[in-house]
Amino acid sequence: MKKVIVTMLAASMALGLLAGCKENTEEVSTNDTPSSEVAGDAVTNQIFTGELEENVTIQVLENDTAISKGYFQELIDAFNKEYAQYGITAVDANMDQYLDLANDGPYGYGPDVLYQANDVIMKYSEGKHIYPLPVEQLDCYDQVPEDAWKAYLTDIDGVAYTCGVPVNIQAPMLYYRKDLLPEDWESTWDKDGNQVPDMVESWNDLYAFSLARHEEDGSKYGYMKAMNDMYFASGFLFSYGAYIFGNGNTDTTDIGFAAGEAEKGAHVLQQLASAMNEDCIDDTITTNAYSRIADGTYFATMSTPDMYSTFIEELTKVYEAEGLSTEEAETKAKENLVMTGLPKLPESGDLTEENPTLKEMVAMGGMNGYAVSAYTKAPNACLAFVDFATSYEMEMKRSQMLGIAPARGDVAAEAGDVSSILFARLKNNDIVLMPSVEAVSQIWVPGQTFFIDLAKDAFRLEDERKYKDLDAMKQGLNEMCQQIYDGIHTLQ
Amino acid sequence: MKKHRTPGSILDTIITYVILLVVCAIFFFPCLWLIMASFSKTGSIYSFRGFFPTGFSGATFVKLFTDTTMYNYPRWFVNTLFIACMSCIIGTFLTILTAYTMSRFDFKGRKHMMKTTMVLGMFPSFMGMTAVYILMTQFNLINQHWGLILIYAAGAPMGYLTQKGFFDTIPKAIDEAAKIDGATNFQIFCKVNLPLSKPMLVYTALTSFTWPWSDFILPKLLLKEKDLYTVAVGLMSLDETEFARFAAGSVFIAVPIVILYFCLVKNMIHGISAGAVKG
Amino acid sequence: MREKTKIWKQMIQTSRWQTRLSALVMGSGQFLYGCRIKGLLYLAVEICTIGYFAMRGMGDIRGFFTLGTQTADPWTNTPGDNSVVMLLMGLLAWLILAGFVALYIANLKDAYRLQQIVDRGERPERFIDAMKRLLDQKFYALALALPVVGVCVFSILPIVFMILIAFTNYGGSIVPPALVDWVGLENFEKIITLSQFAPTFFKILSWNIVWAVLATTINYFAGLGLALLLNKDCVKGKAIWRAFPILAYAIPGFITLLAFKFMFSYGGPINQMIRDAGGVAIGFLDLDAKWTARWIGLLVNCWISVPSIMLLATGHLSNRDMSIYEAARIDGATKFQQFRRLTMPYMIFTTTPVILGQFVGNFNNFGIFYFLRGGMYMDGYFLASDTDLLINWLYNLSIDNNYYCIGAAISLIIFIITSIISLTVYVRSSAYREEDTFQ
Repeated sequence: MKKVIVTMLAASMALGLLAGCKENTEEVSTNDTPSSEVAGDAVTNQIFTGELEENVTIQVLENDTAISKGYFQELIDAFNKEYAQYGITAVDANMDQYLDLANDGPYGYGPDVLYQANDVIMKYSEGKHIYPLPVEQLDCYDQVPEDAWKAYLTDIDGVAYTCGVPVNIQAPMLYYRKDLLPEDWESTWDKDGNQVPDMVESWNDLYAFSLARHEEDGSKYGYMKAMNDMYFASGFLFSYGAYIFGNGNTDTTDIGFAAGEAEKGAHVLQQLASAMNEDCIDDTITTNAYSRIADGTYFATMSTPDMYSTFIEELTKVYEAEGLSTEEAETKAKENLVMTGLPKLPESGDLTEENPTLKEMVAMGGMNGYAVSAYTKAPNACLAFVDFATSYEMEMKRSQMLGIAPARGDVAAEAGDVSSILFARLKNNDIVLMPSVEAVSQIWVPGQTFFIDLAKDAFRLEDERKYKDLDAMKQGLNEMCQQIYDGIHTLQ
Repeated sequence: MKKHRTPGSILDTIITYVILLVVCAIFFFPCLWLIMASFSKTGSIYSFRGFFPTGFSGATFVKLFTDTTMYNYPRWFVNTLFIACMSCIIGTFLTILTAYTMSRFDFKGRKHMMKTTMVLGMFPSFMGMTAVYILMTQFNLINQHWGLILIYAAGAPMGYLTQKGFFDTIPKAIDEAAKIDGATNFQIFCKVNLPLSKPMLVYTALTSFTWPWSDFILPKLLLKEKDLYTVAVGLMSLDETEFARFAAGSVFIAVPIVILYFCLVKNMIHGISAGAVKG
Repeated sequence: MREKTKIWKQMIQTSRWQTRLSALVMGSGQFLYGCRIKGLLYLAVEICTIGYFAMRGMGDIRGFFTLGTQTADPWTNTPGDNSVVMLLMGLLAWLILAGFVALYIANLKDAYRLQQIVDRGERPERFIDAMKRLLDQKFYALALALPVVGVCVFSILPIVFMILIAFTNYGGSIVPPALVDWVGLENFEKIITLSQFAPTFFKILSWNIVWAVLATTINYFAGLGLALLLNKDCVKGKAIWRAFPILAYAIPGFITLLAFKFMFSYGGPINQMIRDAGGVAIGFLDLDAKWTARWIGLLVNCWISVPSIMLLATGHLSNRDMSIYEAARIDGATKFQQFRRLTMPYMIFTTTPVILGQFVGNFNNFGIFYFLRGGMYMDGYFLASDTDLLINWLYNLSIDNNYYCIGAAISLIIFIITSIISLTVYVRSSAYREEDTFQ
């Protein structure tokens, strides 16, 4: 009920756009305001005076998917129509989606507004390459959960600033082919009788099913995912107590990949690897998962929501080749390919255990959003654009066209299962957001090395194995942490 | 050439051809695979059965040149062609001139210059990139093709040692003869040495064309707008699922160099020095 | 040295006022002695230089020392100094100053020379004649002017810049808009005192040298061999045969590398064939594949480099003096003897610079292992893998972290080592010492 009210409220605010929302949010933000926020407000208010610059062109950097699927064109068209009276035009910055603002901005070559991942955006905030934003003024402020805002929170000279506006949540999802389930799954693979196959509910069952599927036909596999991908693999460690950096992901001297019972997560990963083939050691599966899911070689994989359209495309192609019309093929693909939340993990960290106690899986995630470059000539116009792009209507459209999981609660509630699953997971702290410190760039290579080694271990001869027991895995994780530490601190 | 064939020479010929076949196969194999991938019907490298794709189609090439909303390949191609041609012309000229001068003239500081250039090449090049970038921002040459051409052309003479080695083998006697006839050094260079060094000229032109043609780091650094990209940068910016397009783009990028080679090949083989001395 | 001071002393004592005026107003001496155009040119140089220094040169030089005093803060709209730009522009100002001083000295010498000519009662050379001389005797000065300026600005300037960076604290969190400072030898101290540093450095250095030597040898002889093979009389359709390596040459290196990485990966065509034949997939490039990966690196590098060496060798081979071979054949030398006694010495002589260039290029070959086998840190190595070369390690250390100053310090050390090696080899080579051997 509460959600419905919130949704309606937001919808009415979205209609009123800028003018309407200012009044609303001011009431909210004045409730209790710490002194540091006042200082912060002074800075942001000086930049964002509220007076729209007229007759300006703002360059907007969007991600490639949004451009290729046509969403971005619709967005700027709608914005330009709305703001034609002020002479404000938004255009495609036409630059590399992964550009480094810290490199280009100071010399005047960057975009004005940019859409990037939170860890990238926050890297800029340290050098003040992006503006702190008066986010309470934005339409989406109340709709976006506090945890999402936190991803953009930075502390400069003791004052807290928010430097970005969350648009969508990125976190691993399970993709599987419904039509590849055994025909009698309802009787054999649904112990709890909840009409959801067990193998997408628990890793133990997915592991068992993977083994069974490969046993039946040597060329077929169950769950397949590249093990060297730190982004996806680290979730297994987090689920058993690991973390990235200490003190809420800010203390880079405390690296926590080996903390808690992280070795159990490593054990789960190794067991999963043993149910795959050697392809999981390098990048192979990362690039072939789309076509291999489509041709039925793999049953399931893990990927982010924004790849949904690519999976569908590949599967549609297969059905088309089988003789279906484009429309039929697409409908069939959408029906058979399911994107859902991650299965649960056994508390013991042993996938072979029967009737295990299960727990939710935690995963690494990110928050993509907008930021305003500090080198723009028209900050107020940029803010207006950000506000427009994060309005209910535009985010709804974005979610529909790109299949992303919106950060706005009202959109998430309407956009469908996936969005609400991710949204709930974020609220539940089941998603570990990428740290907003520059040092995070040092975790990838050591992590990747460890996971490659771990995966390789599953294919080594019995007596050559390096990770025979949990202690060895703990040791490996500790070494990985040490490497990360070295990478960050030795040269400081 | 002697016409009669001994068993030894026949065996020699056979062995030569066998080795050649093997070598060419080694060189051709990866290229063939790339070509196959670009013609594969599904556009995925994983639909290959063994070495061959399951179906062939030219659709990827059509897409490469017509679907330009995200990846404007034709535009990139024209950009690259422009940059490479200009750098090739200017760079070749400067390199040949430098090499010739260093080979033929003896002046103060020549040996120092030779040693310095030798040493300069040792510096890890990417460390200097920051400086090049800042320099270009100061000259306002970011997002400018001429900025790139300037760097390529200015950098080309650094590799003059190869060409100098070649000029060192052209007998100075030819120069002396021309000098007695009253030619100035400039005339000797243009009228005597330049025609003699065709193979080297071709080699230099080819290398100074291929460098900008396939370089990726500099254009990535200096060209920010997608429409200004060169093919190399553009291909690297392709999405990972666009493999067939990547392959097609890579195959097509090789075409101009192969054409250039066939145009220039005649000039490379003819020996010159022997004839020149005799004549 | 003493000789030089003597000449200068003499110049000062015996110069007339016109000559002395040149010390103040460049070109005035030349102008008064009758070389009007030359005088005006010198004057123009002086005016331009003074103008430049008044406009920004002085500021640039001051900036070179301070590296900025005002931190920029876009949030409060405070404009500030960009230390890196200041360093670079300061350097450029020094470069211009050096050029000016050189011209200034030339101006003085020239004025004195003119004075002597006039004293002897001769007519100084006309400007048009001087220009003509530039095309003839002094052709080298004309020809080298443009390349030298280009190399100075785009090669030497960046290198000197990076060397200077090694003595600052640029990098980490100290990047613009934060201000950079000179720190002296601090970076070098840091490198030397790091205990993990030395073992990895020597391990990588030794592999790096092995790699450079092996790669250079393999590439060179493979390229030369191919060129000789294609040069044989019995080979018909040479242009077609040569086109195959050219095809390899025509595809940009990084694409080739990515393609090879894929071909050798677990899911790649080679492993697929092995599997189809009933074998077990081989991890050609994975974690345990130390020497396999190294050999694949060598071979892939060979695949990439051979075509260009072949082209070059073909050019050189066609430039041989065939009459010597004729003579050798008449004397009864076998094919192999001809190759060893005639072809090899000739090729080694003409291609010494190429071999050195190859050596340098291979020593600093960043792409090969970055593309083929990047993204791994091995046991026993400090933030590097067992195939990484020094340049890859440098990249891991400095670029990933943006520790430019440390990176610059390490590259300076590498630079000194490599340049000493190659310089000794080069100075001892016959191509450097006896340039006329094959005249």
